[in-house]
Amino acid sequence: MADTLPAQPAADALGEDELAPKSSARVITREMVLMLTVPPVLVAAVFGAFVWWRQTADLDSVEAQQLRWSELRSLGWEHVQLTVVAALIVVAIAVPLGIMLTRGRFRAASPVVIGIANAGQAAPSVGLIVLLFLWLDGGFWTAIWALSLYGILPVLRNTIVGIQGIDPTLVEAGRGLGMTSAMTLVKVELPLAVPVIMSGVRTALVLIAGTASLACFIDAGGLGEILQTGITLFRFSLMVTGAVLIALIALLIEWLGRVLELATRPKGI
Amino acid sequence: MWEFISERGDLIAYNALQHANLVLQAVVVATVLAVGIAVVVDRFRFLDPIANTVSAIGLTIPSFALVGLLLPLTMIGALTAFICVVFYATLPILRNAVVGFAQVDKTLIESARGMGMSDLGVLLRVRLPLAWPVIHAGVRTSVQMSMGIAAIAAYVLGPGLGGYIFTGLSQAGGVNAVNYAVVGTVGIVLVALVADLLMLLLGRLTISKGIRA
Repeated sequence: MADTLPAQPAADALGEDELAPKSSARVITREMVLMLTVPPVLVAAVFGAFVWWRQTADLDSVEAQQLRWSELRSLGWEHVQLTVVAALIVVAIAVPLGIMLTRGRFRAASPVVIGIANAGQAAPSVGLIVLLFLWLDGGFWTAIWALSLYGILPVLRNTIVGIQGIDPTLVEAGRGLGMTSAMTLVKVELPLAVPVIMSGVRTALVLIAGTASLACFIDAGGLGEILQTGITLFRFSLMVTGAVLIALIALLIEWLGRVLELATRPKGI
Repeated sequence: MWEFISERGDLIAYNALQHANLVLQAVVVATVLAVGIAVVVDRFRFLDPIANTVSAIGLTIPSFALVGLLLPLTMIGALTAFICVVFYATLPILRNAVVGFAQVDKTLIESARGMGMSDLGVLLRVRLPLAWPVIHAGVRTSVQMSMGIAAIAAYVLGPGLGGYIFTGLSQAGGVNAVNYAVVGTVGIVLVALVADLLMLLLGRLTISKGIRA
């Protein structure tokens, strides 16, 4: 579930990189290779098994109605939309905000924000969604607000930590070359912080994709709906279908996050 | 709001304890499981990336999905909630325990052997105490994560404060809907805060003085 998964791994990875870049590089790479190859294979295999089961299983009318391909497709598409829109909002808000919190007079506020970000991670995702529902009423955009709010924390924290973790002598060197403050930010600080920021984005993607499965509680659709119907009607076929599809989408999105992380990593880091 | 809480004070306190109790039991089981697996992984180093991959994939699976997968096997109730929380609680501890054991200086193990310690003695008196700070950090992460997972598991009638959130949801529009949802959500955050402080204290008490940062 990672719907409450703390952004800890990101911070850990940063620590490892800082401590022993050479000795741990090989281990991290092997794990990275596994994480880039295993999930797609797993997803393809499980999805293949699901398609085979769906085509051959003897379903009663209720189940057949719920598990129509058109229905599955539209719920899956809703799930992806929820995740992607929320993730885009998160990046658009959290990265600039994080940058701002490492500049000038706002810098003093950054430990407070990191503290809040860490504590906020303990807030149950389902509570946040339900509270926003009671406040704003249901639907797609309410779910988007809840998901964005939840995903902002890891990206904001990693942006701050990533920029603060840069060797100050490099910024100094940039200034020495005659760069302005804005130029060092764009040409030195941001490129160096990108790997840490992107690992925060991946954490946020996983959180959002997981929490999107709860959007069905507030009439915002998504694949959670099949699972919810399955639990309400107590039909195992619906429960397992819903659960499997939610898990597969989450794994695919995590994988996309990793690919994105690798693709955006500036050369030479 | 205050009236709502004072009327139900005892029940809320009971549910908060139930929530903490579920997480505590699950994390204890998870710690034993994770450390056990990590000992095996440490013995056969080639398992190391596999353990980390399993842990990463497991953490990616949404808890609501795991609930759905468990229901046909364990039915609605506390057992499903417990297994679900144990599953997620194990993963961060496993990850940290593998790293923790790997970081133990090999020469120290050698000297312990030289002193005539048995394998079990080396594990319990040298490797575990030296790896404990890292494992403890994993347990701390686990506790925080489990609080939210226990909330979702309340959907299938798991014990604890999550039930209030779903009561609030089902009574949407009713007078007490917001009260229920706030009590559930804020209650879990408070229980998590207290638990984190206790974990810090546990760290102070259990991390060997010689290696304390």
